Amino acid sequence: MLRVSSFMLYEQLKKALQSDISDLTRKNLNLTTGKRINKPSDDPAGTIRVLDYKVSISLNDQYKRNIQQAGIFLGVADKALGSSQDSLAELSKILSYGDHGTSTKDSNFYSSQAALYRDSLLDTANSKLGERYLFSGYQTDTQAFTFDSTTNHYVYNGDLGAMSVSVDRSGVAQVNIQGSKAFSVTMPGPTPTSLSDGTPVSYSQVTDPNTGVNTITVEIGNAGDLDHDTFTVSNVMDVANYMSFAWKGQDVDGTALDASAVVAEQKSQHRLQALYPVVKDASTQLLQNQTEIGTREAFLKDRSTRLDNENLTLESARSTAEDADMNATLVDIKMAEVALEALRSSSAQIISQSLFNFLQ
Amino acid sequence: MGIGRSAIVASQTAMATINNNIANVNTPGYSRQDVMLELSLSVQRGGQLVGSGVTVAGIKRHYDRFIESQILGQNQVLGRATAFDKALSEMEQIFNDSSGLGLSKTLTEFFTAWQEVANYPEGQTPRLMLFNKTDALIRNATAIESSLTDNIKHINEEVANISGEINTFAEKIASLNSEIVVAETGSQTETAIGLRDQRQKLLSDLSNLANISMYENTDGSVNVSLGSRSLVSGSRYNIMSSKVNIEGNSDVYLDGTNITGNISSGQLGGFLMARQDITDNALYSIRRLVASVNKEVNLLHQAGFGLDSSTGLDYFNALQVSSLDNSTGADITSSSITNMSQLTLDEYDVTFDALGSYFVTDRQTGTVADTGIYTSGAAISFDGMQITITGAVTANDTFRVSPLTSSISNFGRAITDYKQIAVSGSAAGLPGDNANSIAMAQLAGSSIGDLGATFNDYYRSIVSYAGSSSSAASDSLTFETNMMTEMYSQRDAVSGVSLDEEAIKLIQFQRAFEAGARMVRIADEMMQTILQL
Repeated sequence: MLRVSSFMLYEQLKKALQSDISDLTRKNLNLTTGKRINKPSDDPAGTIRVLDYKVSISLNDQYKRNIQQAGIFLGVADKALGSSQDSLAELSKILSYGDHGTSTKDSNFYSSQAALYRDSLLDTANSKLGERYLFSGYQTDTQAFTFDSTTNHYVYNGDLGAMSVSVDRSGVAQVNIQGSKAFSVTMPGPTPTSLSDGTPVSYSQVTDPNTGVNTITVEIGNAGDLDHDTFTVSNVMDVANYMSFAWKGQDVDGTALDASAVVAEQKSQHRLQALYPVVKDASTQLLQNQTEIGTREAFLKDRSTRLDNENLTLESARSTAEDADMNATLVDIKMAEVALEALRSSSAQIISQSLFNFLQ
Repeated sequence: MGIGRSAIVASQTAMATINNNIANVNTPGYSRQDVMLELSLSVQRGGQLVGSGVTVAGIKRHYDRFIESQILGQNQVLGRATAFDKALSEMEQIFNDSSGLGLSKTLTEFFTAWQEVANYPEGQTPRLMLFNKTDALIRNATAIESSLTDNIKHINEEVANISGEINTFAEKIASLNSEIVVAETGSQTETAIGLRDQRQKLLSDLSNLANISMYENTDGSVNVSLGSRSLVSGSRYNIMSSKVNIEGNSDVYLDGTNITGNISSGQLGGFLMARQDITDNALYSIRRLVASVNKEVNLLHQAGFGLDSSTGLDYFNALQVSSLDNSTGADITSSSITNMSQLTLDEYDVTFDALGSYFVTDRQTGTVADTGIYTSGAAISFDGMQITITGAVTANDTFRVSPLTSSISNFGRAITDYKQIAVSGSAAGLPGDNANSIAMAQLAGSSIGDLGATFNDYYRSIVSYAGSSSSAASDSLTFETNMMTEMYSQRDAVSGVSLDEEAIKLIQFQRAFEAGARMVRIADEMMQTILQL
């Protein structure tokens, strides 16, 4: 039998009370913070899981913000390409109306229409989002296309820079469409070899590897022929520009296509006919770019949905690891309170007992 | 009447002992006392030997030497567990991300800020936001290091304070030794029981401070040694002191000898162990993490281009080499990082042999990174660093070379103009090129060779260490406290005062006293009767 001293009795009671109060305080902390883990030592393994979940959630939120930004960029680019597509459709339409002998009045009308669409195309090719040009590649502070009054052609000032954003830990998605890819026309072929009147026509293409700009040299007729004609276009603005001047019987520098009105008319008709397949291919190319944007948007939307789902799972895992189960905590607190009350009651009984109380 | 008188005296002595027990019921270290009564010598009366009453043979204390020595041992373990738990629970709070402390959030935000820059590479606002997030990361890393070094500073202060306390204990024990020797001279038993109780309490308290061993001399005095050196020898004691070493930490000296390496338990042992643990793990790891962020970001930043066409610039202040000089005749006269990409972020010891060769040993891997014949003033290059040692060296000389020591104290943003942030990856003057900032953001998810993990994984391992070591220290403290309580229970079972017991004894001896007094009265009445004849 262990002998019990008074000192030991009091010490044990104090220790037991401290232990119970400490237990109650800890459970109360869980209730007030709503967390099961309030410091790393509460659950070291759980703590690092929680940190991992929080970092992943934070990164996913950032990827979602990136996707949102990319979505805005792609949306604006899509609208711009859509508008260009409309302009090209209109150009195609007036070409089909006006490439066969029209009155001077009609020609002027078509010429001014082509000029309008040329300017509209230039405007959309130079679209901006905030302070950034959408179609300049990496040269976002530079207008994508400008008119060179020396050569009377439109030139691309951008580059092939592909801007990307992170959409997950290792994946990136391109957000921009380079101006040369959207507005500089590449004819996939086969290209026509003769016009409707049997005049031979040829299209030779050269692509600048640094800018992606494709220059098409159109040659109509044979060298030495009276109506022999060559000209170059490197983008849809050039195409519209040539159309606009052709309807006026002029070259892009404003000079008559030929001293003879008949030959000039002939050359105009040939030019308009020769430009028709270029417009058609430009339209197809824009459509392909729009499709690419659509694909990217669908990918980003899919990625965003996945990130949402991932975050839901991660948030649920974080909550399971970190948050206190309120019902269980409340029950635990009640139990701790009952234990403390019982201890206080029994302690009061024990310490009030002494043999001295019975001595007279 | 004489027998009655002896009964009264014995009862009074017993009552005094009981009263003393009651008075000391709450005195720590007190051992309950009992009077030892024995039969007085019998006297010859009428041819018969008749008892002559009772004598107080002495007062004994209830004391179990085995339990007391166990308590001394357990107190050393408990002291260590207490100090270790105290230091580590402080350290744990530094990494308590759930309270908004720690580095995880700012580290993640720093890298996501690079993504914001990638979303709008030509914009000023995201670049300025990146600066804000960078500054927050720097502030947090600096705060963590300050808290850890403060923690170590507090430990060093505790080490110095405990050394002072040990001196006080040593002085008192030596003084009690003298008093006990004087009090017990010529006695065959332990008569100076109060003094012995006091000394035992002091020894018990001292054992809570450091690992002591003791033995009792035949004259009743005790010799105490601490860290294999003599602390108390009879009435003499040696002085404990603390001195700051080259690392800025307090070492403990006993009688002029450095005994830091011999302190293994008690609070002193616990604090020294915690200091080593925090320095080698938390502080080292957080410095390594920051150095790695610095190195990887700078390497990538140098390769990129700013809006103003700048390139080759560091984003953070470049890492610097620090050294500890443990040599009397030589100094490190220059040290620098020569090739950042070759830097391993390990620390190195430069040692020498008697033949004049030097050895550069990687402290983390244990491999020799470089060796050669030492020439004063000649550059020594290894793993992207170069140092120059000048002066005469001996075989005992060592130099510690580290790119980590100042990695946080020197952690700052080198870029101040937002245009110089190297967001572009391909060439100068391309405002829309965000390739470098995407690469920078992707660093967050990349496994870094120097760390063997991603930045966040590595940081998590530091938090895991802080949490699990604090948890283990707390568990250990609970266990040792319970063990101690159990031992005190064992001790109290033998030596503790029970008021109920004393109350019984009080009545017992009160009755004996009353009976003795009645005997005297009866003897007196008998005497009166005779006198009235």
